[in-house]
Amino acid sequence: MSKSRLLITNENKEVAIRVDGVSKIFKIPHEKNYSLKGTVLNILKKKSYTKLSALNDISFEVKKGEFFGIVGRNGSGKSTLLKILAKIYTTDTGRVVVNGGLSPFLEVGVGFNPELTARENIYLNGALLGLSRKMVDSKMSEIVSFSELREFMDMKLKNFSSGMQVRLAFSIAIQAHSEIILVDEVLAVGDYNFQQKCFNVFRKLKKEGRTIIFVTHDMGNVEIFCDRAMLLEKGKIKYIGDSKKAAKEYLILNKE
Amino acid sequence: MFKKQKTNLNIVKELAITDLKLRYQGSVGGYLWTLMKPLFLFTVLYIVFTKFLRIGSNIPFYAIYLLLGVVIWSFFAEVTSVCIGSIVGKGELIRKIYFPRILLVIANSLTSFIVFLLNLVIVFCFMLFLKVPLTANFLYFPLLILELYILVLGVSLLLSALYVRFRDIAPIWEVFLQAMFYATPILYPLSLVPQNIAKIMCLSPITQIIQGSRYVLVSNQTLTVNNFLSLPWILIPYILPIFMLILGYFVFNRMSAKFAEEI
Repeated sequence: MSKSRLLITNENKEVAIRVDGVSKIFKIPHEKNYSLKGTVLNILKKKSYTKLSALNDISFEVKKGEFFGIVGRNGSGKSTLLKILAKIYTTDTGRVVVNGGLSPFLEVGVGFNPELTARENIYLNGALLGLSRKMVDSKMSEIVSFSELREFMDMKLKNFSSGMQVRLAFSIAIQAHSEIILVDEVLAVGDYNFQQKCFNVFRKLKKEGRTIIFVTHDMGNVEIFCDRAMLLEKGKIKYIGDSKKAAKEYLILNKE
Repeated sequence: MFKKQKTNLNIVKELAITDLKLRYQGSVGGYLWTLMKPLFLFTVLYIVFTKFLRIGSNIPFYAIYLLLGVVIWSFFAEVTSVCIGSIVGKGELIRKIYFPRILLVIANSLTSFIVFLLNLVIVFCFMLFLKVPLTANFLYFPLLILELYILVLGVSLLLSALYVRFRDIAPIWEVFLQAMFYATPILYPLSLVPQNIAKIMCLSPITQIIQGSRYVLVSNQTLTVNNFLSLPWILIPYILPIFMLILGYFVFNRMSAKFAEEI
């Protein structure tokens, strides 16, 4: 706590994430070969695949305490970039430096198992987000009340609607108190009331001086929340800077 | 650094608990089946081998002798068959969040290991019931179990990593297990095997572990690898588990960076 306060007085000049010349190329084979026989036969043959350049020489910095938006059309490389930041993918070239703990929040309910009850899933999901059983226990009432699912806690998750699952997942995720948080379009699900609650959490996190990387298609939210934003197009940075300008550029891009 | 280890330990714990819960999901007997399985097995083995076949009638406590072999083999066969899919089966998870992928294999193998330990408890109960004389030799047994776990973990790491790229591994492994089952003195005593073939069998760590366990727990008349092999060959069954663990770990680490893209 005292650390984050210190950063605010320091005008958040410290770098939270530095991405330096990152490229990612996916090799998509024309024939997906999963078998040993295929591999043996293919040694002699020249392999044919399409190279898909998902990210092309991307460099940017996010300062500590910044609310940083990433926008772009489908297939522009947003999700690939987030996955690289979250260490799920490796980079082909370039370097990523992350200062501080990072909570990926790419898709809600990671590791959720439909055969377990909501309560059991909280422990499992919590563990993957770095929360011990003890920590989950101490936060349980907070998680339950935020999700508004008190009477369903001992029901199996397979009987939950997708909206309920998202609410549960989000309620756990906000308990993982990392300095850097990656958010990928999770707010698309959930009713209006719950979305407002989520945004309040974001405001609170922002006030606490956390760094948030936010991927969305909703330009209204970009303008309201983001200090800066980056527009990606075909794996390249088309614009980076003022969030209002980024939103405008995005809308122009969509009209083309 | 320390905190990271704690988080990883916690992930393994939660994954293993989940695995254990799901294993008997929806069955009325639940966890009881873990204990019932060796119980029924013992009954069958006891009747077939002491009443009908009488193969090992000259070996004291032959039913226990058999049960021990079967329980050890089942652990090896089950854990490797389950762990082969540890990575591919959790593709959803791997594509969404980062954590050391090795934790998935460790969690799966630990679940099977817990079931294995419960099975051993049943074996010990029968030993008490049949009044098998216990000697100080049984202190070696935990070492054999440790060796078995090292072997199993090494093989599991190797198989689970290779399975991501080569799906043929699963049926090949299944056939290999079948062959190994008959090439290991599980249902028949090693004394019935011709000397030169027994020598080859003793190179397998599984044979060494099974015969060793029988020696330290049931009867010191049991033939072990010491009866067939001498230096340097005798080192092979002991070195293989460690070699497999190093190889498995190395291959797994090399391949794990690309798991998220390849699954």
